Amino acid sequence: MSKVETILKQFADVAANPKKAMDDYTAETGKGAVGILPYYAPEELVHATGYLPMGIWGGNKSISKARTYLPAFACSIMQQVMELQCEGAYDDLKAVIISVPCDTLKCLSQKWKGTSPVIVFTHPQNRGLEAANQFLVQEYKILKTKLEKILGVTITNADIEASIKVYNENRAIMREFVKVAADYPQVIDPIARHAVFKARMFMEKSKHTALVKELLEEIKAMPIEPWTGKKVIVTGILAEPNGLLEIFKEFGLAIVDDDLAQESRQIRVDVLDGEEGPLYRLAKVWQNMYGCSLATDTKKVRGKMLMNKVAQTDADAVIVAMMKFCDPEEWDYPVYYRQFEEKGIKSLMIEVDQEAQSFEQIKTRIQSFVENM
Amino acid sequence: MYTMGIDVGSASSKVVILEDGKRIVAAEVVQVGTGSSGPQRALEMAYKTSGLTREDMAAVVATGYGRFAFEDADKQISEISCHAKGIFYLVPTARTIIDIGGQDAKAIRLDSKGGVKQFFMNDKCAAGTGRFLDVMARVLETTVDKLAECDEKAEEAVPISSTCTVFAESEVISQLSKGVDRNSIIKGVHQSVASKACGLAFRGGLEDDVVMTGGVARNAGVVRAVARELKRNVIVAPQPQTTGALGAALFAYEEAKKMKKEGLE
Repeated sequence: MSKVETILKQFADVAANPKKAMDDYTAETGKGAVGILPYYAPEELVHATGYLPMGIWGGNKSISKARTYLPAFACSIMQQVMELQCEGAYDDLKAVIISVPCDTLKCLSQKWKGTSPVIVFTHPQNRGLEAANQFLVQEYKILKTKLEKILGVTITNADIEASIKVYNENRAIMREFVKVAADYPQVIDPIARHAVFKARMFMEKSKHTALVKELLEEIKAMPIEPWTGKKVIVTGILAEPNGLLEIFKEFGLAIVDDDLAQESRQIRVDVLDGEEGPLYRLAKVWQNMYGCSLATDTKKVRGKMLMNKVAQTDADAVIVAMMKFCDPEEWDYPVYYRQFEEKGIKSLMIEVDQEAQSFEQIKTRIQSFVENM
Repeated sequence: MYTMGIDVGSASSKVVILEDGKRIVAAEVVQVGTGSSGPQRALEMAYKTSGLTREDMAAVVATGYGRFAFEDADKQISEISCHAKGIFYLVPTARTIIDIGGQDAKAIRLDSKGGVKQFFMNDKCAAGTGRFLDVMARVLETTVDKLAECDEKAEEAVPISSTCTVFAESEVISQLSKGVDRNSIIKGVHQSVASKACGLAFRGGLEDDVVMTGGVARNAGVVRAVARELKRNVIVAPQPQTTGALGAALFAYEEAKKMKKEGLE
């Protein structure tokens, strides 16, 4: 096994077994983990406590118990999270942080069935105002106080600043990873690419940064070879499970950039330097966020942003990974679809359901799309 | 030169044999699909009708839900590409295709050269498909081939949910128990299928001519409902169940010519 393959396997192993990642971290540090539900919680605050922030983005389970609490038309991630809660999968977490930028999260946050304490906070949707930043600072102060109380720690500004630095470094290296993955699709296939992103949710970020750096050094020493397949940008909440990404591989699709909430939206906006305190600068991230269905956007820049990505990467098309029953994503779609049509950008929508075990219909869609590109 | 297209669908198997990419020498349908004896029986019928054998085929292309399970093909091509190819060959003015098959529905937009500009498929749900009509026909104590006749006699369409086959079945049973006219329920069922399929067509934008294909296009009640929903004329493809197989046979012809040119025949 080459060094690149060895590193990629490390990412894949972490992505496939978050429980082990948490147990290893606990054994190493004597501390535990805090669960972070989508979307855009200030992970830096958790990192500053010395506990491991663990992303909670669903799974690939057959849904049964979750039906007691959620309607069948709740989005797939929340169905999975509810099912796993009911099974006690999150009970080892010291706390769970839930933001509520969509209706399903708002409801889910009020009926958490696990035993871990839950901390809920709100993002202001009128994001353009300075008052929005001030409001979010207050939310983060409450979040910080609750974390300190639950974990029995004190979070200093210096701790937060150090964590901001770690996270900014990680976001920067991941943005570089996206570019390198686009140049080397023979090495970083869609499944490996996803594993590097997914492992990010379960690894302490400085360790993740170091491993990504090591990977990039190895890859960049290799010659860039021409790609005979097609290049695509993927947009949506997430593109899982791996069975879905296998189809991308099968039909020669390289993911040259993404706009997935689970992947590149997480690394899009850095915490900027400045005179203001760290909580204020963390709050500004929400104001500076763009092109995401969860963040109110009166100018609808997502389509333009995606078209820019197409131009920058010389992509052949955009694939919309539409999360089943995700209202915010469904609302955005007609807007950017029309923009694509006007500019002649090819696009394909596929439905993402984390519970899925069979992908024949998606296979037909992707095969047809590739045949007609 | 003979080429063959086989469309192994979820509910039926279709085979078309073409001579020189133009003349249809066999077009056969067996009403069972992938995982059954259907594909083999459809093949045997096509060979018998044409007097040809597998050895006479310069190329074979498989399409449909079971395309990868059919091993005797030179190539597998998706049913969207094949329906587009077959329809454009039959109706060159087609720009919007509505294909309703056994377990899925599709809306396909074509450009002026027959290329696929965009397509939309139903999600994982039987509502708005041939399977939906099978279920409803059983509840309504009739057969699928008599639905159009009943629809024509109806004075009104009783609204039926287009969201879910199971709920719609309950609705139909409820209407029957209330003594509502059976023909009106059938017309409502057709309207329900049409609204689901038209939703896909609206999503991608409509352009004339609109052509319906797939097994459900044989049901004139659904075709009328689609025309009402779209508020425009709808052309039914000749032999709508075999357009996918025809497209596959046309692709096979192109493949055979390519192989001949490359000396791979």
